[in-house]
Amino acid sequence: MELFRDTRFDFLGRKWWFILPSLILTLAGLVSLLVNGGPRYSIDFLGGAVMDVRWEGVPPIERIRAAVSSRLTGVSVVAAHDLTGSNEVLVSAEAPAQEDLTALRQTIDEALSTVNPRYSIRSFETIGPQIGADLRRQALLATGGASGGMLLYLAWRFRTVYGVAAVVAMAHDAFITVGLFSLLHQEVSLTVVAAILTLIGYSMNDTIVVFDRIRENRRACGREPLAETINRSINQTLSRTILTSGLTLLTALALFLFGGSVLHGFSLVLVIGIIVGTFSSIFIASPILLAWEQGRAERSARRVALPEGGVR
Amino acid sequence: MNRTLIRRSLLVLAIVLASAFAIVRSPVRLGLDLRGGASLIVRVKMDDVPPVQRREVVEQTRQILDRRINAYGLSEAPVQPYGNRGNELLVQLPGVSDPSRIKNLLQSRAVLEWYSAEEGPYASTGDAMARHGGLLPYNRILLPTRPAADGRRAWYLLHGQPIIRGTDLRGASVSAGTMEQPVTTFTLSQDAARRFERYTQAHIGQRSAIVLDEEILSLPVIEDVIRDSGQIRGARTLQEAQDLAVNLRSGALPAAIEVAQERIVEASLGADSIRHGLQAGAVGLTAVVATMLLYYRWAGANATLALVLNGVLLTAALACFGAVLTLPGIAGVVLTIGMAVDSNVLIFERIREELRAGKPAATALAAGFSKAFATLVDTHVTTVVSCAFLFFFGTPAVKGFAATLVIGLITNLFTSVFVSRVAFDWEMSRRRPVAELSIG
Repeated sequence: MELFRDTRFDFLGRKWWFILPSLILTLAGLVSLLVNGGPRYSIDFLGGAVMDVRWEGVPPIERIRAAVSSRLTGVSVVAAHDLTGSNEVLVSAEAPAQEDLTALRQTIDEALSTVNPRYSIRSFETIGPQIGADLRRQALLATGGASGGMLLYLAWRFRTVYGVAAVVAMAHDAFITVGLFSLLHQEVSLTVVAAILTLIGYSMNDTIVVFDRIRENRRACGREPLAETINRSINQTLSRTILTSGLTLLTALALFLFGGSVLHGFSLVLVIGIIVGTFSSIFIASPILLAWEQGRAERSARRVALPEGGVR
Repeated sequence: MNRTLIRRSLLVLAIVLASAFAIVRSPVRLGLDLRGGASLIVRVKMDDVPPVQRREVVEQTRQILDRRINAYGLSEAPVQPYGNRGNELLVQLPGVSDPSRIKNLLQSRAVLEWYSAEEGPYASTGDAMARHGGLLPYNRILLPTRPAADGRRAWYLLHGQPIIRGTDLRGASVSAGTMEQPVTTFTLSQDAARRFERYTQAHIGQRSAIVLDEEILSLPVIEDVIRDSGQIRGARTLQEAQDLAVNLRSGALPAAIEVAQERIVEASLGADSIRHGLQAGAVGLTAVVATMLLYYRWAGANATLALVLNGVLLTAALACFGAVLTLPGIAGVVLTIGMAVDSNVLIFERIREELRAGKPAATALAAGFSKAFATLVDTHVTTVVSCAFLFFFGTPAVKGFAATLVIGLITNLFTSVFVSRVAFDWEMSRRRPVAELSIG
């Protein structure tokens, strides 16, 4: 079977069809982040306690929230939905000050038993505020370091502009994902950060495959205008792009639907990231490459033109 | 039949057998998030410790905590240094779902001292000070008893020099005393025993104070000469007396500690996570294999073979390194599946392109593999680079993810490039004259 045989789509000619939605998404995410004062960090980063509770019957989320809120601050109560149909609730409360973390378990437990004593605690976690701050720093360091490392590697293997274009596309994917998380009121936890790092790697992978082909085609026929080379390269790798993205998306979807509550955030990032990442390799990274090279060509053309036109 | 091909096939077979052996011999261990248990991060308080001694203090604390946990038969993973702050330790307790007792056990410093009591009781420190004109007499200390049931404490003036200390102890155990008042019995080292004997001989009839962590546990009156063993009363429950014995045996902590993070996972949640992970893996894998077979026909079977082998090699590598499989690790495995699929697709599409360009099957095969390989190296190295940063800067969970992914990438390069090529070559060698490839 073959789905894409010898396609000749003019991707770069229609790039605005895709850049525009991407800009809208980016803006929407930015607005949401600004309005909410940054992403919704989970207790992992803020310090506090999280309790995973299995309820008998459908959990009365509002009543649970009210009961816990009356005792603690920064309370969040979410039901963990997935296909497995478990009645699980994640209860979390902030404890930003250096408080006695031990008492938190008892307090939450007491609050829950006023709603309905028939539940079981499945996991409980407390994180001191200092550890939370450490984790935030570590996450930023890891992301920044990983991006920088990849940029350097690409600059060495290809050229600087390839590295820059790939990293911009990657940052675009990460930002849209964080923005969407903010729009969807999803929490950014440690696992979500791990997922964002995964998606960064995935988006990079996708971009490199296209760039690799561009480089190869440039070497083979350097006379061709760059726009045409890029278009041809994207078309040549299109069938691989669609197939790989489709299959990886399938895996991520399986994880999202059947992976249980613990992997919920992780797989959601992957699902969003794979879709956005596939488009960004074609419609963000490649246009940047083209714009840069065209800009350079214009600059050098002007430099050549100046001595003649510049004589007054 | 080509001899190189046979040699390569044998190599693949040998590696597969070795992997199978490795998996059977030492199965992959599961992390606490998958099997249930508690993990604590404890922080050693460094306020009173001079900077030069800090490393030593943390190491001492680590060993003592290890001993305390060992006394409960819980320690599978030793207490480890955690993070890069230098004063944090990771304590893992498999199978423990309510760690409050162990937390108390770990958090008490267990500094035991035996003083001679001089005055008291006083109702408050203010009372005691007023008695001495607002100034404590030279070389005397003022300590409270443990709060009674109504929360009240009494204060006593003690001689500043302890008669014996925790370091003088040789052993401690709970003696089968009356159940109403549990008793912790301790034995003294030779040197201390002689000292204690002299002291008790000279002070019969006087009151002394047994102090644990700056609180007076009990105020026994010296009734007789005590040589090498003594008893501590004042524990509220038998459990408390046992814990005290454990702590006295494993030694006092050189500095106070606090629990900075606590994570408890019920075994049932861990089992659910494994089940969900396996379900998701099975669904994902089935969908991927079905698509590959449909799209690439026989070549799809090669890809499936490479995929399955990758799984076997990855598991074997994890088993060999003694890695602990955690939830993020499973996520890494799932991502490895994705990368493996990509490698196969990349190679196959390249072969198809070469075939379309009119090259004969054998040439197209070789060209497809070698051209795709260049791309694969770039994508794999880039991911390894980012994993390296995750590994060095990430939290333990992220580290597990990065490590699994890197191992998966390496085994993937082997299976998707080398093993898959061998499979193709077999197919080619069976058909003569070489006509065409079954690649959809």
